[in-house]
Amino acid sequence: MSRVEPFARNPNDGSKRVLVVDDGTTMRLFYRSVLEAAGFVVEEAANGVEGYEKALAQPFDLMIIDINMPKMDGYSMLRAIRADAAVRATPAVTISTEAGDKDVIKAFEAGANFYMVKPVATRELTEIACLITGARPQ
Amino acid sequence: MNSPLLDRFVGEARDLVQGAAAALLALERQPGDEASINAVFRSVHTLKGSVGLFDFPAFTKLVHAGEDLLSAVRAGQVTLTPERVDRLLEAFDQVGRWIDEIDAGGALLDGAVGISRDLTMALRAMLPAQADPAGARAANPTADTAAATLTALDWLGGLPEADRLAALAAASNGREILAVEYVPATDCFFSGEDPLTLFRPLSSLCALVIDSTAAWPQSDALDPYQCILRFRIVTAAPRSEIESLFRYVIEQIKIAVITPNQLRAAVTAGSPGAGALPIASPVAAPSAMVIRIIEGQRTLLATARTATDRMDRLASVARIVSNLLTVADREADLTSWSDAMALARRDETGHPVVAWFDRWLESQATTASQTPAETPPSQGGPRPRIETADPEGRPDNRVSANRILKVDQAKVDSLMNLIGELVVSKNSLPFLAKRADEVHGSREMSREIKDVYAVIDRLAQEMQGAIMAIRMLPVSEVFERFPRLVRDVSRKLGKHIALVIEGEDTAADKNIIEVLGDPLLHIIRNAIDHGIEKPEDRAATGKAPEATVRVKAFQDGDQVVIDVSDDGRGIDPEKIKASALAKGIIDADRAARLSDQEAVNLVFYPGFSTAETVSDLSGRGVGMDVVVTTIERAGGTVAVTSRRGQGTTVRLSLPLSMAVTRVMTVEAGGGMLFGIPMDHIAETVRVRRDAVQRIKTSEVFVLRDSVVPLVRLDNLLGIDAPIWFGNGDDEEAVLVVHVGGNLIGLVVDHFREGMDIILKPLNGILAGVRGYIGTALLGDGRVLLVLNLKELF
Repeated sequence: MSRVEPFARNPNDGSKRVLVVDDGTTMRLFYRSVLEAAGFVVEEAANGVEGYEKALAQPFDLMIIDINMPKMDGYSMLRAIRADAAVRATPAVTISTEAGDKDVIKAFEAGANFYMVKPVATRELTEIACLITGARPQ
Repeated sequence: MNSPLLDRFVGEARDLVQGAAAALLALERQPGDEASINAVFRSVHTLKGSVGLFDFPAFTKLVHAGEDLLSAVRAGQVTLTPERVDRLLEAFDQVGRWIDEIDAGGALLDGAVGISRDLTMALRAMLPAQADPAGARAANPTADTAAATLTALDWLGGLPEADRLAALAAASNGREILAVEYVPATDCFFSGEDPLTLFRPLSSLCALVIDSTAAWPQSDALDPYQCILRFRIVTAAPRSEIESLFRYVIEQIKIAVITPNQLRAAVTAGSPGAGALPIASPVAAPSAMVIRIIEGQRTLLATARTATDRMDRLASVARIVSNLLTVADREADLTSWSDAMALARRDETGHPVVAWFDRWLESQATTASQTPAETPPSQGGPRPRIETADPEGRPDNRVSANRILKVDQAKVDSLMNLIGELVVSKNSLPFLAKRADEVHGSREMSREIKDVYAVIDRLAQEMQGAIMAIRMLPVSEVFERFPRLVRDVSRKLGKHIALVIEGEDTAADKNIIEVLGDPLLHIIRNAIDHGIEKPEDRAATGKAPEATVRVKAFQDGDQVVIDVSDDGRGIDPEKIKASALAKGIIDADRAARLSDQEAVNLVFYPGFSTAETVSDLSGRGVGMDVVVTTIERAGGTVAVTSRRGQGTTVRLSLPLSMAVTRVMTVEAGGGMLFGIPMDHIAETVRVRRDAVQRIKTSEVFVLRDSVVPLVRLDNLLGIDAPIWFGNGDDEEAVLVVHVGGNLIGLVVDHFREGMDIILKPLNGILAGVRGYIGTALLGDGRVLLVLNLKELF
């Protein structure tokens, strides 16, 4: 049996687009640098309102949404996304500093496909983004 | 050099800390204001998220402790007392210092851990016991001062011989030996605890065993942020010391008194220590993350409230699962998955999909428990490889609207200098036009040059305006510091003070704003320290116990004016006179003649201080004279008005911009041109020679009702003027100027035009020359010397 080179197919060719919604500018730069290094195209939004507008304006393969944000928090943004037929198929992962069961369930109830806990490791972030978007790192 | 991520963090963190402190003060003024508590909480929360990206554990802990306290405040578990605000502000201050340290050296200085521990403890002490998140989740709640009793002592047998002998030795000295078991909460790292350092200060530590409460998970499932450690200690320290040391986590420890016999018995029981780490098996399990994500999709469907909601969620689930199966090399499962999806869509129910998840997850569990050889090699493979660098060659997609640029001040300053040069250079074009006509006889060329000049002139002016606008900052830049100052000082002095800030949007050039900060701080401190009475004194005079300090900024013509007024006791002119007499600033004769306002103005004299006792707040030898000097250097003025018993107002007036100075040019010394700052000039008059009178050797003239001394500019500057026959009509050109509150008539040869100039200070070997503020280049290439009248008189 010949071993299949695990990363041979579906290279991350820059066609996968990720929207990061977080009010922290350091966090946004972190997502951008990690995800761009893994071959993703990254868009940023600073709050739920901006995130929702960007999500409507162009298609994304993944949204990473912070929970605690001004104007519109992550839960509200998720509910808005899931209620909108045009964008509800977009996978969404929430990220929060809260790691309790209640917080996780709340994220799923609002419509998150997955959740991450801050601080998220570079490796974990890349792995989740790749698996969910069906991309392989370059 | 710091990394871009760290630089971004430094910038953001500064803003966040500042925002948090401002919101906290607003909250203290308006307790229960939801917007403020949310703002301060969110700032700290975001900061916690950001700092977690870096390895600054001391920083992270402190921020976390602050967040916990704020969280308790937000939840209404504790009220925001002044003490709690103090602790939080201290923490914010420390965080601010750490940010500076990180900015300067990329790391925290030594001692950060200790500082963090002290401040964290102080913050945690402000939490009620039940609001402690670790306490809330503790398995066995107990009374909050005494620890539970430890029953399981079999581990004693596993202690090394030497440790047990040490304990026995302590016991033989008559001391009580305690066994302590400490199981920190699994999320203790997130609440800023460091279990090991917690008991380090114990005065006696005979033995220490660290093991885990459960078997160690395999390395890829290990979550390093979860604490599953168990600490077992044998100590001869008194129980009270232990309970005090562990007071914040008292429910997490158990204590038992052990007898020397128990220690000896344990030697014979000889059970091996519980501490050995199980070695993770080398089996490559199916990617844990794939399974976690699939579980997530199941949860997403299970938590849907309604059937429609569930169907809405199915779209994203379908997308993720097919992506996941493809990339995890589980294409074999794709068929059954599509079948389940088709079924779900047809019947509009989530059941087939949930059932598929259950089957799939179960099959993974069995695969995982099978022998390593049967695990397909690819299952360990899909873990993505991480590349951290080289984002080149990928589409750069950084579109962002309304981005605010943060620009280095030096760049704006150099723009300002360049535009200054440009304004001056363009002034040479009219001379060129004149030459074209007069020297080269080309009137047409002259006209064309003038046309071009008109265009360049307009552009240069607009550009100058635009650059000046960049440099304009709102006074709120300096006002932001005041709420904190007023709070701290008034708390220290036991005075109740409401700070009212008005017109913080008023803008002025950044140089002016920078100049304002320290003088204003000093004036406000003065007002609180000397001006405002103690509450009981206020009550005695029928005033409201809470005093008001009002800081008001507004624009008045080309000046920005800032009034600092208080409703305190006012300045007593008699006291001032007495004090000035005692200090030898004035003599008794003069004191008797001084008007009240003149007496009040004495506070501007160097070294003057009215407070009988010098407090550590304002009387630090820095008096109002320093304020005056600073403000005047920036081209501004300071005035004090005061009414006894009603309060004092200090008014600072400053030019909107220091970049452009308006001067009047005059001719003296037989054709030499000098500039005099317009704000000194009261008026220009022509005085008939025969109206000039002599008092001893001085010349004076009468301007309306007052006698004004005359000074000839030539004499003042020591210029040997050529013989001057007057300007033909037997009149002197006299420029009446204010110098230090007095009027002086300056005799010049001719008045020339007023103009806006870019003032350049004298530098190099000329820097020490007194009497001149600086120079400016004129359009025709001449250099204009601008006089500093204060230094000349």
